Amino acid sequence: MPGDVADDPSDTGVTAPAASEVAIGDAVTPFSRTVTQEQIRAYADASGDHNPIHLDPDFARYVGLPGTIAHGLLEMGILAEAIAAWAGGNANLLSLSCRFSKPLLPGDTIICTGTVVSVDDSGVATLAVGASSDRGDRVLTNGRATVRLSR
Amino acid sequence: MPDKSHVGRRYMASGQRIDPESAQAMAQAIAGDGEIREAGAVPPTFAAVYCLGPTLAKLFGDSEVGIDLAGLIHGEQSFEWPEQVHPGDVIDATAEITSVDTKRGMTFVRLAMEAIRPTDHAVVCRATSLMILRTPA
Repeated sequence: MPGDVADDPSDTGVTAPAASEVAIGDAVTPFSRTVTQEQIRAYADASGDHNPIHLDPDFARYVGLPGTIAHGLLEMGILAEAIAAWAGGNANLLSLSCRFSKPLLPGDTIICTGTVVSVDDSGVATLAVGASSDRGDRVLTNGRATVRLSR
Repeated sequence: MPDKSHVGRRYMASGQRIDPESAQAMAQAIAGDGEIREAGAVPPTFAAVYCLGPTLAKLFGDSEVGIDLAGLIHGEQSFEWPEQVHPGDVIDATAEITSVDTKRGMTFVRLAMEAIRPTDHAVVCRATSLMILRTPA
């Protein structure tokens, strides 16, 4: 069936945590990454989002920002990677949502976190997830993710 | 400026091919200076390219709705991936304006998107977005 982990040519062979071994309150492995202006430019090219608030410091300041800011979806992509790494791969990440609460600036380190809040009978875990910057700003809030655990 | 009369407008973008090089470019952009964690895989948030990007481009080009990109803030985002996409897949995406609300000098536009792989009729992504615009004084 399309979408099954076993059918996925990108399957890394990394196993998802077993549902029987995951408990409410378990933490996702902490994950951090420093985001550079070069990375933001690469993301603009990859995503097609060339909004000047991400690329032009003068324009960003003109609209009231402290300077260029990372794309929210770049931050969300890093958060997705953090969760997928804990869950055994991209194929096990079923959903992800969050609010873009504060901007992440070039040179900031984003710190992604997550905690298991429930595990259902089908082996799907719901996580409370989010991200902060090393300056102490909560950049991604109200986050929720669901992941498929192994049986 | 968007208003409630625009709720229900739909934007379609058919034939979005999942280009392997583009998917890897996004994976590398997310990885930064590091190595891509799953080489050859399509990053989950590549949905920004095959689902959000092409449909939002049509919304932003809708002069009757009149979104000013200079004042646009991406407020919230959700993704659900019922099935994975793979390099080479061709995807049809749609977006619909589900609500428009104005408060505290801001206009809040909510959208719902869906991306389908027509070859097997699989829904590969459902998404919602909240876009926030400053309301002109």
